[in-house]
Amino acid sequence: MKNNTLTLLTLLSIFFMGVFSCTSSTTEMTYDSSKLPRASQDQVDKVVEAFMLANDGDVIDIPPGFYNFKTQLILDNKNNITIKGAGMDKTVLSFRELRSGGEGVKLVGNNVKIEDLSIEDAPGDGIKSQHSDGITFKRINVTWTNGDKSKNGTYAIYPVQCKNVMIDECIASHSKDAGIYVGQSENIIVKNSLAFGNVAGIEIENSDNAEVFGNTARDNSGGILVFNLPGLPKSEGKGTKIYDNDIVSNNHVNFATPLSDEPNGNTVTMIPPGSGVILLAAKDVEIYNNRIHKNKTVGIAIANYHITGFPAEAPNWSPYTSNIYIHNNDYQRTMKIPDLTKEMGQLISVYNAHGKGKTQDIVYDGFWDKSLSDNIQSNPMKICIEENGIEKLHFTLFDLWEGEENIRSSKNYSPFQCQTSIETDVSGLADL
Amino acid sequence: MKNILSISLLPVLIFFLGCAEKVAEKEDLEVADISYGNWEAPAVNIAKLDFESMPFEKLSDYGFFTGKIREMKPQKGVLTYEPASSLFTDYAHKSRFIWMPEGAAASLKDDIEGSLDFPDQTVLIKNFFYPADFNQPDKDIRMIETRLMIKRNGTWEAFPYIWNNEQTDAKYKVIGAEIPVKWQDEDGKQQLINYIVPNKNQCKSCHNVNEQMVPIGVKAKHLNHSFDYGNGPKNQLVQWQESGILEMDKSPDDIASMVNYADKSKDLNLRAMAYLDINCAHCHRAEGPASTSGLFLNYEERDPLKLGVFKTPVAAGFGAGSFKFAIYPGKADESIMTFRMGTNQVGAAMPEIGRVSVHEEGVQLIKEWINAMEEKKF
Repeated sequence: MKNNTLTLLTLLSIFFMGVFSCTSSTTEMTYDSSKLPRASQDQVDKVVEAFMLANDGDVIDIPPGFYNFKTQLILDNKNNITIKGAGMDKTVLSFRELRSGGEGVKLVGNNVKIEDLSIEDAPGDGIKSQHSDGITFKRINVTWTNGDKSKNGTYAIYPVQCKNVMIDECIASHSKDAGIYVGQSENIIVKNSLAFGNVAGIEIENSDNAEVFGNTARDNSGGILVFNLPGLPKSEGKGTKIYDNDIVSNNHVNFATPLSDEPNGNTVTMIPPGSGVILLAAKDVEIYNNRIHKNKTVGIAIANYHITGFPAEAPNWSPYTSNIYIHNNDYQRTMKIPDLTKEMGQLISVYNAHGKGKTQDIVYDGFWDKSLSDNIQSNPMKICIEENGIEKLHFTLFDLWEGEENIRSSKNYSPFQCQTSIETDVSGLADL
Repeated sequence: MKNILSISLLPVLIFFLGCAEKVAEKEDLEVADISYGNWEAPAVNIAKLDFESMPFEKLSDYGFFTGKIREMKPQKGVLTYEPASSLFTDYAHKSRFIWMPEGAAASLKDDIEGSLDFPDQTVLIKNFFYPADFNQPDKDIRMIETRLMIKRNGTWEAFPYIWNNEQTDAKYKVIGAEIPVKWQDEDGKQQLINYIVPNKNQCKSCHNVNEQMVPIGVKAKHLNHSFDYGNGPKNQLVQWQESGILEMDKSPDDIASMVNYADKSKDLNLRAMAYLDINCAHCHRAEGPASTSGLFLNYEERDPLKLGVFKTPVAAGFGAGSFKFAIYPGKADESIMTFRMGTNQVGAAMPEIGRVSVHEEGVQLIKEWINAMEEKKF
């Protein structure tokens, strides 16, 4: 899969991109902050000071207005803090003119809550929380207002290395990587939120015990992702349930790639537009009761890290996706032509088992741990698919072991008709 | 195909670069007029200060320096020191001092870096300044900021002070500042930047081990070299010991020591590691804020993957440029590390804070180091 793409395919993709422009893009804004009254320098400085000088138990109220910050808002290891705006459409923190540092807002502490405000145009991440136990994002809208989306920042809402993370009724849009990204954390709820116009809508990465439900992921390049990447302090995560979500029309052009069309080392640059759910080296994931509609390339992609072409060895980490249970989802395909801009899109478009240019509902890249079994028919990685009317779905199992010269595919889903149990427990987050 | 693509992209690239150039020219910075006032600080007995009521409003309130405090004549008991390698901060010159209560001393911990355990009421003082002409570093100095780190009740805290235009004193300011600064560099070129004083909590972006505020430069590995206190060169740790502020039962030969990255007589690998340690490893270490990336750049790290060799990024965003790996051995120009060191774009530039300009010599050193690695395929 790596490096040398078939020339014909590349040509084709340029042809399609150039002539038909079938990639879509959006700069839709949820709120218009341009009409808000501008906070004075004094008011801006007061907010900065409130963060700098916060004491345990403080409530930091940020009155309505548009606040233009040139410095980061950092909460430094405090307990029981609430940061409260007057509403996502009324209190807007802009970091367009930030002079140094990556993220606009950084929260570190225990039992910290931020609610009812918007964050715009941070050069790196919108809002980041690290090493926090008990962190709640409620009704936070994080976005970028650049017309040129290549200038946008990385993650909108970004808890990392946290415990007990609640993301509720938030909106994340237009980030160059993931809108809602939870990394290297444990005990996580992402619910009733909206992610649109991002490269990845919602991503759970190297994290344990997560539930993602009641969300809408639409108009991203990829809707919902569960990844395990190698070489991180939290080497691997497991246990994610994705249910009752609308994962719709995630056909946005992948704008994570800079300057050239060649993916860089960010895995997200490889995501083919038109992807509903992608599992990459994921462990113990259950996907059920979702509406997976109109994603032009694939509804659910089950992938192993091998497909990236990157070195696939790291301590306490496995490149394989295993123990997956996919059931009771509702699929609607689209007439749109599947992606041809990314290698994975080309693979699906051209080599799927149902005919060139046909959208797939579920694909499995077909790598498995050969130390467990000498064939994939025994389903060694325990990939279980139990969908109603599966015979009518477009399912493709690939065989990529022999490289791109000899790609094979099959419609046979029968080895994967099984059940498995996935454990998560987020009842401890009820009080957040 | 790839060649054709890159050729067709060339004009686009040139266009982008051209734009960046123009923006830089447009930014017009007004450098404040500096005068040198004659005000002299009243004498203060440091030992009698009430630590609980710190931070004080003005730097002069502490009494660390006598007379015209911009001249940095230390009060008795205030000792200067210097780490072997120093953090790049937009070419600012720095001076560092330490004060401890009479009779108190730091002790040497038994770890690989030679960390020091400091007593309560230890004060670290770091000044950032620019001589008008870098070839005459003692003349026409403009003091910019002074950062204090004070240990109270077992916990360090950082307090930033910004100097006035009369250069008589510095005032406590938590929200940071932007200060246009100019100087003439060693090659006689005029330099002008918008120097950024970090806000108080940004201090923790670097001074952070497991979310506890800690000093960076005062570890044995940084101090274990000879330094001239005015009576000829002498090992700094020994000097501290003789001054009564350090307890150690080992000879400096048995204690960790890091080279000066600027010392070209030293091994390239050690110089590069020293550079990365002092510039990056405060975040990029297992206990630091950038542990999220899995990229660890402390002097002691030996695992190639953790150092970035063929390591793909995690959350780099456009910081990754068009590159796949933090370090591509033998190919510095295709490595994310040198890309991020070499850009000033906020959000991509590394380190994230502390510079608005590129440290050309530092980038050069790391490029040399990466290019000297055996070229391998992944």
